[in-house]
Amino acid sequence: MSEFFTVSVIFATLSTSIRFAVPYLFAALGETVGQRSGVLNLGVDGIMLLGGFGAYYAVLETDSHILGVIAGLAVGLLMGLVYGVVTVFLHAKQGISGIGIFLFGLGFSDLLFQELVGTPLPIRPLPRLDQLPAVGGIFEPLVELPVVGPLIFDHDLLTFLAFLLVPAVTWLLRKTTFGMNVRAVGENPQAADSLGVSVARTRFISILIGSTLAGLAGATLSMQLAIFQQNLTNGIGFIAVALVYFGAWQPRWVMAGALLYGIVTATRIRWQSLDIIPQGASDVAAMAPAVITILALVLLASRVRGPAALTRPFSRH
Amino acid sequence: MKNKKILKLLGALFAFTLLATACGSSSTDSAGESDGGSDGGSAEASTGLSVAVVAPSASDDVAFTQSMIDSLGRLGVSPQVTDGTFVVEEAAAAIRGFAEDGTDVVVAHGTQYGGSLEEIAPDFPETSFIWGTATDNRGLDNVFAYNPAADQGGYVMGLIAGNIVGGEDIGVVGPVEAGDAVAYINGFALGAEAAGSSTSIVYTGSFSDVALATTTAQAHVDNGVSALTGTSQSAVGAVNIASANELPWFGTQSNTEPWSEDFTVVSQVYHWDVVLAEMFALIEDGTLGGQAFELTLENEGLVLEYNDAFELDADVRAAADEAVAGIISGDIATQ
Amino acid sequence: MERTPLLSMHNITKTFPGVLANDDVSFDVHSGEVHTLLGENGAGKSTLMKILFGLYQPDSGEIRLRGEIAAIDSPTSAIEHRVGMVHQHFMLVPTLTVAENVALGLPSARGFRTDLDAVSERILEISNQYGLAVDPGIEIWKLSVGERQRVEIIKALYRDAELLVLDEPTAVLTPQEVDDLFVILRQMTNDGTGIIFISHKLHEVLELSDRITVLRNGAVTGSTTPAESDRQQLAEMMVGREVKLAPDKPAVDRGPARLQLRNVSVKGDRGTVAVDDVSLDVHAGEIVGIAGVSGNGQRELAETIAGLRNAQGGSVRIDSTDLTNASPAEVRAAGFAYVPEERMKDGAVGEFEVSENLLLINHGDPQFRKGPLFDFAKIRAHSQRLVDQFSVKTPTLDTPTSTLSGGNIQKLIMARELDSSPTVILAAQPTRGVDIGAAEYIHSQLVQQRSDGVAILMVSEDLDEILGLADRIAVMFDGKIVTVIERESATREALGLAMAGG
Ligand SMILES: Nc1ncnc2c1ncn2[C@@H]1O[C@H](COP(=O)(O)OP(=O)(O)OP(=O)(O)O)[C@@H](O)[C@H]1O
Ligand SMILES: [Mg+2]
Repeated sequence: MSEFFTVSVIFATLSTSIRFAVPYLFAALGETVGQRSGVLNLGVDGIMLLGGFGAYYAVLETDSHILGVIAGLAVGLLMGLVYGVVTVFLHAKQGISGIGIFLFGLGFSDLLFQELVGTPLPIRPLPRLDQLPAVGGIFEPLVELPVVGPLIFDHDLLTFLAFLLVPAVTWLLRKTTFGMNVRAVGENPQAADSLGVSVARTRFISILIGSTLAGLAGATLSMQLAIFQQNLTNGIGFIAVALVYFGAWQPRWVMAGALLYGIVTATRIRWQSLDIIPQGASDVAAMAPAVITILALVLLASRVRGPAALTRPFSRH
Repeated sequence: MKNKKILKLLGALFAFTLLATACGSSSTDSAGESDGGSDGGSAEASTGLSVAVVAPSASDDVAFTQSMIDSLGRLGVSPQVTDGTFVVEEAAAAIRGFAEDGTDVVVAHGTQYGGSLEEIAPDFPETSFIWGTATDNRGLDNVFAYNPAADQGGYVMGLIAGNIVGGEDIGVVGPVEAGDAVAYINGFALGAEAAGSSTSIVYTGSFSDVALATTTAQAHVDNGVSALTGTSQSAVGAVNIASANELPWFGTQSNTEPWSEDFTVVSQVYHWDVVLAEMFALIEDGTLGGQAFELTLENEGLVLEYNDAFELDADVRAAADEAVAGIISGDIATQ
Repeated sequence: MERTPLLSMHNITKTFPGVLANDDVSFDVHSGEVHTLLGENGAGKSTLMKILFGLYQPDSGEIRLRGEIAAIDSPTSAIEHRVGMVHQHFMLVPTLTVAENVALGLPSARGFRTDLDAVSERILEISNQYGLAVDPGIEIWKLSVGERQRVEIIKALYRDAELLVLDEPTAVLTPQEVDDLFVILRQMTNDGTGIIFISHKLHEVLELSDRITVLRNGAVTGSTTPAESDRQQLAEMMVGREVKLAPDKPAVDRGPARLQLRNVSVKGDRGTVAVDDVSLDVHAGEIVGIAGVSGNGQRELAETIAGLRNAQGGSVRIDSTDLTNASPAEVRAAGFAYVPEERMKDGAVGEFEVSENLLLINHGDPQFRKGPLFDFAKIRAHSQRLVDQFSVKTPTLDTPTSTLSGGNIQKLIMARELDSSPTVILAAQPTRGVDIGAAEYIHSQLVQQRSDGVAILMVSEDLDEILGLADRIAVMFDGKIVTVIERESATREALGLAMAGG
């Protein structure tokens, strides 16, 4: 094996990891906003499934990825409305309501898929930068750059959007009045309320942001894989919730977790394909991404206490 | 105040469970006429038995479950279907439910249902249970077992693949190291070896994780493989990578042409109808179980369906047909 | 002619399930005056103020501000009416900075983006004007209690409050901090602000107030001024009977040393030395008071003795048992009772019912069991007895503890701890936030335990309490015990000096 080949394989693995991390990142960033406001949403996976189906179906019918994205966002928003009403206004327990949303998403996405599609047909894959209609040519030289080309530029637009959202969410939480309200109601809703900040409204909007991004995460998944089937997410939404926790509710650590999870997954697959990990050890290897990511985040991310009012419904009396 | 909260919570819960269960149960319905497959050669006349199927994935998964539904269709049977029961307890409940309803034959289409059957079957001595994939019936006299000799078709397809790529590497995307997946992959590797190609095999650890199968196929492509194969419902991810990179794809369990019209070379399709017909005949004669059946190239339970859209060299095809004959005659070992 | 009061509340009535919290209360405040609300724990002071601030809605009655009817249905509308409130339990977000806490809920000059630099500037202006030193960029959790209070006041001033409510602002302050606060409040009244002040400390009330209104069981029982009354009279108006402000202490022979601390050193939360080589004996039949400004290691020392924190050096013994770094259960088993300083955090479970909290430390006791099950009849009887004895004001035994008034939670913990027949009691700020009547009862209980041969270590910032109860007084400063004085030779001045490190 020549030196160049090894290096290029490493970059190919990294490039795969980046793409792999995108649905995790969208979902976990959204969940970060929600949890910062004090609302845990265990239904992320279900919202992803429905959003994923919505996007898949839209592309299948119209061949338009833009409509696919819109469908994913819209489904996420709709599910957020339901979850928000139930948890914020009806004060239902967040844990069990989230599981309800998950079960609903799991069952309903499958039902819709059976009724509307049946046999899973591949859709047109998401175009990479250089394959974009009209403007694709501009990016061609970038994609052909050695090393950074495949690593950074050979991705679809949603991948760029996901990583741009990291500073954007950080900015939202730290530099805007809305973000300040979010942090306040997640920490001490009584205090926020006593200053006229509407706890209900702030949490509701945070939930909407979170689940809309979960819908986008699902849309990204089904459009990147160019397919939909029953339980397509395989628990990505739950891993995303865990990433928020182990990433200490900070977007940059959540991103680090998503990337690391992607890198470990891609690496273990790569090593299995090169027989570095023997075939018999595939079961153990399958657990590696979760274990390594959690360990790393626990050791590295500055351990702050979570939002003090997380999962606590708020009412004045 | 406390009571009001609890009421609200209950209300919300109720609404959710209603919705959730509504969806869960709605996949239990008659599968009706699935598209009946090309050759009905081995199919017998419709049986008067009432048949139900319990299966782990969707009835149109272009893989394991669909192959059973299609096979029953070819026998003119429209079974009642409970699919998507990847949770064994749910499947067990469904199996018991069908037996209680007086269904004549319950097909438990999943290796993982064996334990449940050992509990359920003795309670319903009048009912015949058909269980697979499994190599023996666990000593239960109202259970038939069925198993595909997936290594046979795997060998032939490996040989074809090796001949097409002419000695270059072939990537294999496996799910969990068990059952017919292992048989298929090992047979495929032997066949490829016979044609002078080596295979790189990765088991992802999941039957259903499409993203992981996609990543695995991509890793194979990055490593420079010249053809891909894979099995389980998650294989759809690998097929898409094959199409995107214009690599020949080899399917198994069902015909994968719907996934890749241009790059599917050949699919090994399970025609359970061959052994099902035998079992139905026995059941009608009063034998409710106690035997194990195998799908082979010889009994045409395994059928290699070639994709007309993929232009295969005549001599490659000839070598494949020769291998089929060799396997049937026992001259070629596939295990 | 009467001038129009800044605030007048007319015939306010408010009920909670099982409780008449405010009973036809009328109350007013003029610009530039301090009007004090006085009353026992649970008398309804905080409730009345929460109604004024829009957190609760009254069942009936009306509120007028500057003579006009004000419909205050939320904190926002209270703030719009230029009412500010410093709550009994601080309303601050610990993870946010001072400036963020102040800016919360206000529109930003930059619309969606925060304008914290401008807010910080204005905070510094206010803090210069009133001598409220605080760094706008620092997070609340890093601040001392006194500093947090300043932030609360700044929050109100920032919103141009003309009427400021302070609900027990001094309960957690050091004497020096109280003096500073009063200077600031005076400056504010001179500028025309009206202030409603709530406190259980009668000398503060007499010092600061222009007028005093007393509440009992939710109803107004009388109004007076400092000139017309004294501590004894105020105490009797609140409680409705004669009150002993200083307990009678019978002579008790000092027994053997029961609690022995030898060279104890403990690290604090931030890793610095909090308790530095402390040695102290507490004998059977004596009360040792630890005086000192809070934050000088008292809390860490108490937690170490209680088994909640590990010592880096030294030893802790009760009688002949070595309890250095033992678990809380082991310490309790040795006959130790603990009344913690942070009652809501360490002393009681807010979501638990009153009777559950009363049973918290002895739920394993066979007398409350019937086989493997709880004997609920016995438990109820036991809880009822404690509630009556310590006059804990609660509608039922099943009421969630967090809805009790602050002083009543303290009484609840006291009842539980004193009832466990301990041999050593550690009481931290035993009467903080507790009304006169209850304080009298708690003090008499501690004296009773002393007569029974219990060794009592009492941590208090209240010099009156220390001087009234302790047999010996240890002064803590900067983690060390700087002096131990017999009560007879202690003077207020000498103690004050030692507490300041002099
Ligand atoms: N949210 C609530 N729900 C139920 N009861 C309440 C609530 N808030 C207060 N109470 C009850 O109303 C009564 C008055 O309480 P309040 O807090 O006004 O007393 P307080 O005078 O401020 O006492 P303290 O001096 O102890 O702070 C108490 O009996 C209390 O238990
Ligand atoms: Mg109060």
